[in-house]
Amino acid sequence: MDNNVAENPSPTRAKWRKVAYGGMQPGFDDNHTDDSFLEGMVMNANVVKRDMLKVMQDSVSISQYLCIVVLVGLVWNYSLRSTLDETSLLYLDVSLLGSGFLVLLLTKEMLSVDLLLHYLLNVLFFTTGLYVLAPIYQTLTRSISSDSIWAVTVSLLILHLLLHDYSGSTVRAPGALKNPTLTSFISLNASVVASVFIASRLPSRLHVFAIMLFSLQVFLFAPLVTYCIKKYSFHLHLCFSFSLMAVTLAFVYTLHRLLLVLLLGLLVFVTVVCPYWLIRIQEYKFEINGPWDEAKLCFDITD
Amino acid sequence: MGDIKRHRILMVSDFFYPNFGGVENHIYLLSQCLLKLGHKVVVMTHAYGNRSGVRYMTGGLKVYYVPWKPFLLQNTLPTFYGTLPIIRTVLIREQISLVHGHQAFSTLCHEALMHARTMGYKVVFTDHSLYGFADVGSIHMNKVLQFTLADVSQAICVSHTSKENTVLRSGLPPEKVYVIPNAVDTAMFKPAAERPSGNEIVIVVISRLVYRKGADLLVEVIPEVCRMYPNVRFIVGGDGPKRVRLEEMREKHSLQDRVEMLGAVPHARVRSVLISGHIFLNSSLTEAFCIAILEAASCGLLTVSTCVGGVPEVLPDDMIVLAEPDPTDMVQAIKKAISILPMIDPQDMHNRMKKLYDWHDVAKRTEIVYDRALKCSNQSLLERLSRYLACGAWAGKLFCLVMIIDFLLWRLLQLWKPAEDIEVVPDIVLSHDEDREILQDLQAFNKGHSLR
Repeated sequence: MDNNVAENPSPTRAKWRKVAYGGMQPGFDDNHTDDSFLEGMVMNANVVKRDMLKVMQDSVSISQYLCIVVLVGLVWNYSLRSTLDETSLLYLDVSLLGSGFLVLLLTKEMLSVDLLLHYLLNVLFFTTGLYVLAPIYQTLTRSISSDSIWAVTVSLLILHLLLHDYSGSTVRAPGALKNPTLTSFISLNASVVASVFIASRLPSRLHVFAIMLFSLQVFLFAPLVTYCIKKYSFHLHLCFSFSLMAVTLAFVYTLHRLLLVLLLGLLVFVTVVCPYWLIRIQEYKFEINGPWDEAKLCFDITD
Repeated sequence: MGDIKRHRILMVSDFFYPNFGGVENHIYLLSQCLLKLGHKVVVMTHAYGNRSGVRYMTGGLKVYYVPWKPFLLQNTLPTFYGTLPIIRTVLIREQISLVHGHQAFSTLCHEALMHARTMGYKVVFTDHSLYGFADVGSIHMNKVLQFTLADVSQAICVSHTSKENTVLRSGLPPEKVYVIPNAVDTAMFKPAAERPSGNEIVIVVISRLVYRKGADLLVEVIPEVCRMYPNVRFIVGGDGPKRVRLEEMREKHSLQDRVEMLGAVPHARVRSVLISGHIFLNSSLTEAFCIAILEAASCGLLTVSTCVGGVPEVLPDDMIVLAEPDPTDMVQAIKKAISILPMIDPQDMHNRMKKLYDWHDVAKRTEIVYDRALKCSNQSLLERLSRYLACGAWAGKLFCLVMIIDFLLWRLLQLWKPAEDIEVVPDIVLSHDEDREILQDLQAFNKGHSLR
């Protein structure tokens, strides 16, 4: 048979072998647990050790985007209360567009006239389309009450924030690494629908056009612009984020004290509390690998 | 024929005849061997199509096809307490002493074990598969397994790797887990009287063509081997979603005359397909214990397999060539197998397999597990609840709640339908003359004939 027998004259029992054939191994029960039990187990092989400062720096992107959305909400609020009239909104739009283009020009390594012309043409089409469709947006929600509009808008904005892709940009920059995911598309759509709802509450056509242009500009292109800034220089990204946060807090202070406290609390939560919590619970991470795992194919399956 | 220590066993699983597969075969053959040893075995499973009610199989094996239809992947709908009345009735009618559940993926098994523990019966569980830890499905499955195994008397696994996997998933102490591998019916899987002659080498593949069984590896390996060895032919049996990819591979490399696709092979014809080849190729990505390899070795074929899960433990090193689940490595392994093929004698391999694997040996070892299980102490509900509480902060309390409700429902049933009102079934005793008939019927079952 296949058992190793010791060479000693006195009958010592054979060594236990990790095999399934040959029936019960003589001298050992079926529930014998050898010292080699679980020796193939590997724990936490792929777990990344995280550093508190790095996680806090990464969380600045999230608070930055949060401030951008709050600023958009503020502009909506001011227009609905007629604090901002159409002309100032239009000036705001144009200046935002201009500064966005400037940032893209300065931070992109490949400057070509073709690409610039391509972008300008797209923006022109976009703006014309919005102007033509503005009357439709104005009368869209005439029969719906304001409370419903506010409720839907707030929930859509929350959905947008929850599902947003904070590490990249849904509107793909040429040369971006990965494809946008389904959740990032859902969040983009949620923000667009929220803008349409708010725009439909405004009195005149020009107003509607201006606010739509503003909202869509921010929601579609702000992630792209901030992504370009971050890629260009991390220091610039940090400065930009902190100044943005300061500006937002200042504006919210002029609006309402309670909202300021809430916003401050949220920013502190995202920047300080969440990284600390993440690092604390990483200690409980228990990733198990071993010979029982399903083998991973090392080649791609091309259908 | 009554032994002194005669056990009365109820086997429970969602997977049984008329389905064919590893678990189904295991339950059937183990039950037959236990019947031969003198114990009483009853099987409980769900209804298959019209097949519902009580059926008798060879050797007096009684099967209860409980009238529920499967709802997902051959599993019955998990209703937690819906199965309590019928299981109680079966346990009292047949005067069962021990319940043996099979396969972690079977909902009927989990429910039956839960009710059996509530009613105080001893419980044994056999796990037939390997599971991961990382994805959502596995996490839920492992939690359910933890619940069932929190209070099991003994557990059985089919290989040592499977034992490590089960212990990690369920948190059982390793001393409670026994390793009793499957076996193969060597009387049915005999090598051909004469080896297929000629200088052609035939490589046989019989498996379900799914991702898990490594069909994608086959797509990479077959053209390479056909290119390197002009005298090698492939026979691929089995069906599945990846069959399309294999057909495409055949067309792309013009291998229609060198790769034969048989489609689904019924279990009765597996032997005839195997004996037409020299080498058996198994490319699964995960395998707790591969019975297909045993069948191939019993028919005298040299095996080439991926080194995953419990496969390295199954055969001695001179009967199998192992490779990493990587196309280049597998081609190297096939090369090595072809070079050692002339030294293989099929009849010799078959004779060795007869000594290495035997269902009667498996039944005897399982009997030892049953004896140990029956020696476990009886515990009251409160003592058992403490075991469930250890399962987790939230889960422990939830499990305790489930068990308490089960206990209360059982007491209610005892009042509503007292045990005295349930008729006890008298035992059928078969005489020795029918032993030969039993052996023939066993072979007939393996040939896939339906029994009364």
